[in-house]
Amino acid sequence: MNERKHTQGPEISAFLDGALAGKDRVRVDAHLAACPACRAESESLRQLKMTVRAAPRKRMPADLALALERRFVRSQPWWRANSRPAFWVPAGTMAAAALLAGFWMRSTGAADEVPLEPLLTAHARYSAEALVPEENLVASTYSDQLTALYANSSDAELE
Amino acid sequence: MDALKFADLIKRSGDKAYNFAYRLAGNEPDARDLLQEAFAKAFEHGDSYDTLRPFDSWLLRILHNVFLDSMRRHSHSRTVSLDAPTPVEDAGWADLLPEDSPRPGDELVKRESLDILQRAMERLPPAYKASVTLRDIEDLSYEEIAAVMDIPIGTVRSRIHQGRLLLRKAYEALEKSGGMRS
Repeated sequence: MNERKHTQGPEISAFLDGALAGKDRVRVDAHLAACPACRAESESLRQLKMTVRAAPRKRMPADLALALERRFVRSQPWWRANSRPAFWVPAGTMAAAALLAGFWMRSTGAADEVPLEPLLTAHARYSAEALVPEENLVASTYSDQLTALYANSSDAELE
Repeated sequence: MDALKFADLIKRSGDKAYNFAYRLAGNEPDARDLLQEAFAKAFEHGDSYDTLRPFDSWLLRILHNVFLDSMRRHSHSRTVSLDAPTPVEDAGWADLLPEDSPRPGDELVKRESLDILQRAMERLPPAYKASVTLRDIEDLSYEEIAAVMDIPIGTVRSRIHQGRLLLRKAYEALEKSGGMRS
């Protein structure tokens, strides 16, 4: 009976893919065993399938992975990129407050004795620990201003 | 979607998605564009991602949709309508594929050439190319392919088989022509 009616093509493919179950699988299996034409077709498709499977997989180029990370992770504002409750928030707040206080005291001449070095240290520590994306730090001019102030201050002391 | 978590997903799913994109696009520049756009959409619509389901399948579905959109936007010279009937039903495929020739059988494996295979894949219409790629390269089940392509299981079964027939035919034609680029 199986020999008379050939198995439909999609059934052969599904059989090869293990996508047939129960009676369907038994029926196609029996037909392939008894029908040379369908068996030859099945073997041809099986070899084609193996050929396709043997094709080497393409891996994502490293530069593309880096570009994606830059685009979707590093480009995010730091308060979004790092969703963990930040341990550095208090430290950052204190450092910023100290920085502002230093500027205020300096601008008012209230404390020429205030050393800038601890402020620089606090700023550097905050920058290192805060996991702020590098580009965000570069975008800020506070570091440059502070460094310039410190340099001028040192020059003045030398003179 | 959380950016740090997304970075992890890029690392874990990047290769699989890129491989699929490359097979669909047929070249690296287009594959890169596809992948970037797919990740952009995944990132943008991250809130709609069901975390109980595999991220891979969700990403591949987005990528497939991006690919179909790009196909609709640009009419490629060797591409036919996305809604084209199956080759069995439409004699028009003769323009796309060569005439009948003896089935390759064992010869196919013996004379296997990955370059020819890739070019034969490029000749497949998008729907068949995606089906064969997802099944034979990405090793997705019929159910997963149905979810990625948003089509019924019966259609998946039909497209996989038709895709294989077309691929075999295209492969033979390229072999016959000495692997020359057309």
